[in-house]
Amino acid sequence: MIFFAILLVLVFLAQIVELFIPPLDWMYNAHIYIVPIVVFYGAMALPFPLMLTLAAFAGLLLDALTMQVIGSRVEIALGWSILIYAVLASIMHGLRPLFIRGRWEIHCIMSGVCTSLILLAQYLMITFRRGSILFTPEAWWQIGGPGVIAMLMAPLMFWFLHTIGDATGNPFLPERETY
Amino acid sequence: MNRSSIISLLVLAAVLGYLLTFGPESTRNLQAGFYQLISPFLSTGSGLEKQISSMRTGLKSLEELERDNATLRVENRSLNATNQALRDVEREVNRLRLALAYRERSVFKLVPAEIVTREASTWWRTVTINRGKQDGIEGDMSVVTEQGLVGKTTTVSDSISVVLLVSDENCKVAANVEGTREQGIVAGERVAGALTPLLDLSFLSKQANLQPGQKVYTSGVGGVFPSGLLVGMVKDYKVRELDGQARLTPAVDLAKLEDVFVVTGRK
Repeated sequence: MIFFAILLVLVFLAQIVELFIPPLDWMYNAHIYIVPIVVFYGAMALPFPLMLTLAAFAGLLLDALTMQVIGSRVEIALGWSILIYAVLASIMHGLRPLFIRGRWEIHCIMSGVCTSLILLAQYLMITFRRGSILFTPEAWWQIGGPGVIAMLMAPLMFWFLHTIGDATGNPFLPERETY
Repeated sequence: MNRSSIISLLVLAAVLGYLLTFGPESTRNLQAGFYQLISPFLSTGSGLEKQISSMRTGLKSLEELERDNATLRVENRSLNATNQALRDVEREVNRLRLALAYRERSVFKLVPAEIVTREASTWWRTVTINRGKQDGIEGDMSVVTEQGLVGKTTTVSDSISVVLLVSDENCKVAANVEGTREQGIVAGERVAGALTPLLDLSFLSKQANLQPGQKVYTSGVGGVFPSGLLVGMVKDYKVRELDGQARLTPAVDLAKLEDVFVVTGRK
């Protein structure tokens, strides 16, 4: 439970930090996203109900801090990010047995893929809302770039979070025997 | 799937169902509440960001100092550091003096504001400023600098406001072109690959034949943006099937925004 609380705080802090990280102009303005990595780690390190709570918290934060209400319409309605996070975190949760056995490679790659999927889902929703489907190379870079960055950051972040998990005695480790 | 998982799924579905029923107004209120809640973190973060960037400038000046020492062999390291500090102060004084002069000579009532965060998400071009309802800011107010139009306010909390930049596809500005009767709508690009993206001026006549460098101003149509604000300069012009379209370079360097003014009315 302590580790879950720590993850909630980390998600909040990571969301604030993201607001101050400038986009990478050498990568077509791709942004750096830290929150998805924390959430996807939580998806593997926490039991299902807590994982859903973490995903809901991250989704609500993302919606509240980034969505746009233009005049009398909301581009992406409140709640969609929660759904996206919950679905992707559930997929990651399905890979939990492998993670507990100490195999992290697939999870690092999946963190990047899922980060890009969040952006792709947002972009598709915006595209349907605004009309005219536009998939320029810049759009692909802005969808794929953050995924690649997340993939590269994931091993370090996972190691950091795993260390905190160990230090707080997160009970997922004893579950090792059950897999 | 065990019972606790099923219960948590049901709870999530209920929460989602509730949130998805939120209309624009309740969404805006919730968003404003969130911004108000995290405003201390944003102010602290913004201060830290400025300190880090000032430290970077200091490091650059040390590199320059070493070069100068190698060539001139006279300059004193500490003196140069002092000079650098004074230059920073001078730059800030000049910037504020310019801003103050603009505020005084402007025909609008302006509320000065500082940028707190910028470009927080991939798909929306927004910045947040450190002024809100307490300072008389409301939604749909124009935001400008002495160079021209920056955008408009959207979500406003007590002390923080979100500004939708003119480079966003959703920020549509009625505009006219200097020296012509051409009128059109300026909007940003959906996906911008550069830090300072270009703007599109659409719905021009096919005979407009705009020339690079021509200035584009707000026309005042629509009520959000007052007329006469510089939006940008024509970069190129093309004729499409039904209309003419020009690409504009924004009047304001949106990537380097530091201080802005919110137009709260006319003097």
